[in-house]
Amino acid sequence: MFLEARGIIKAFGAFRAVDGADLDVTQGEIVGLIGPNGAGKSTFFNCLAGDAEPTAGTIRFLDRDVTNATPEVHARLGMARTFQVPVTFEDMTVVENVMVGAFLRHHHRAGAMRKAEEVLEFTGLSHLAGSPARSLGTPGRKRLEIARALATEPRLLLLDEALAGLTPAEVRLAIELVRRIKGLGITIVIVEHIMEVILSLAERAVVFHQGKVIAQGAPRAVVDDPAVIAAYLGHHMKRVRM
Amino acid sequence: MKQWPLVLIGFLFIAAWPLLVDDVFLQRVGALVLLAAISASAWNLLGGYAGQVSVGHAVYFGAGAYASLVVYTELGWPPIAGAPVGVAVSLAIAALIGTPTFRLRGHYFSMATIAAAELFRILAANWPLLGAAVGLMGPPVPRTVADLSFLSPIPYHYLFLAVLVVLLTLTWKMQRSRMGYYLAAIRGGDRAARSLGVPVLRYKLYALLLSAGFTSIAGSLYAVMVGFIDPDSALGILISVKLLIIAALGGAGTLFGPLVGAMILIPLEETTNAMFGGGGTGITFIVYGAIILLVARFQPRGIAALWEAITTRRASRVP
Repeated sequence: MFLEARGIIKAFGAFRAVDGADLDVTQGEIVGLIGPNGAGKSTFFNCLAGDAEPTAGTIRFLDRDVTNATPEVHARLGMARTFQVPVTFEDMTVVENVMVGAFLRHHHRAGAMRKAEEVLEFTGLSHLAGSPARSLGTPGRKRLEIARALATEPRLLLLDEALAGLTPAEVRLAIELVRRIKGLGITIVIVEHIMEVILSLAERAVVFHQGKVIAQGAPRAVVDDPAVIAAYLGHHMKRVRM
Repeated sequence: MKQWPLVLIGFLFIAAWPLLVDDVFLQRVGALVLLAAISASAWNLLGGYAGQVSVGHAVYFGAGAYASLVVYTELGWPPIAGAPVGVAVSLAIAALIGTPTFRLRGHYFSMATIAAAELFRILAANWPLLGAAVGLMGPPVPRTVADLSFLSPIPYHYLFLAVLVVLLTLTWKMQRSRMGYYLAAIRGGDRAARSLGVPVLRYKLYALLLSAGFTSIAGSLYAVMVGFIDPDSALGILISVKLLIIAALGGAGTLFGPLVGAMILIPLEETTNAMFGGGGTGITFIVYGAIILLVARFQPRGIAALWEAITTRRASRVP
């Protein structure tokens, strides 16, 4: 199995943000993690990325146990991520930001520079290469995060609400970019709460509610699932279902 | 870099300084500027490039200074022979302090470094081997040239200049290597850096070791030139603060920032000291305070940022 999470629990005191969630990802697919606010999908996502240590459960990536591995190890193994709120290296230029990622596999400056330029070209940021990263707006920063992650040459890309806060036109551009990344053979797990994104992008949707996976399958089928509607809209909505 | 001609002119000016001025006081100020530039450039490796603001670098400065004079008082060696000893001690202290304090972030890291440094100052003030509260003296008259005890500041000027050039060359190379990018990423944010595969703790430690080693060399050079140290002049918190202010004033995390900061602060300090005599130490504190205020309020990224803003504005004006 490419990525496999079993019985993940993440507790903060008595509260279980993730309460026994499982996930299987096969190579080459785009999986969307959805669920209402506070469903535990971001916490689960952080466990996958090695940013949070699960209280219980195991995570295997490419047949290696990475449950307690650090984010650095995840990156080295080929798992890259973006952050919900972009963490741009403000003092650096756009290309330098991407070079930090590229240095993981290219130890020399020239090689890292070449890789970074290639990624900037791919993500359509070439014209901003020399600009200070702090001059970018939200769409630019989100794109830069993706570029930086791609520069580490990942096999799995974890996108944490990479499209939130974008205008509809920017969302379309971002969807197109994610499709092209899949075209490179990179597997993608995306946390998102814009339904439109999941419907048009994901091949499989996994729905979280109260720390558990309550449904999964083709996105169209999942959004019509009564349990999912109940989770999003509350229980008595069931009676007035359109 | 487009500014190479300017850098060259600057260095030629610094190299020619003791020959341009006839006055011993001004020659001495020149040597002290270079010594401060070495110390602040060493601090800059950790505080500037890696963004880990240490307010405890007096420990490493003191280790170098004390090592120099202890090898003289205990073994009769020329003080400069203590420099490698100081570096070894500093690296050991850095590894000891660094591992636990790097778990702290921001202000908490800074406060922990102050505490650690004060601990060593109190230790030195009570340890007879280190001269306790009285301090240590170097050779009163030079026995051989190896004692590096000169009346004129000129030999010190060139010795310090050579060390500074080595340090800045090394820093320049580091800045352009993977380590330079990784340190800048760590300064930008631990979490994002780690997600890109940067071994944050390891690189912070590299920066600290490099920084501590060179700060220690600066301490040794200081002891060699001045020939007298006590717990306050070699390990006092004022030294830690001074390194920070010089680097921040010139531009922390830039190659020439600390040198520029030293060229402003040291002449200012020496002049006030000369004008007000021994009672002028209070004035130094006031000057430091004023600089902290001005830099924090108007130019948090130092003079280097101001310079960058001016040059880019001029460049963008060209159609």
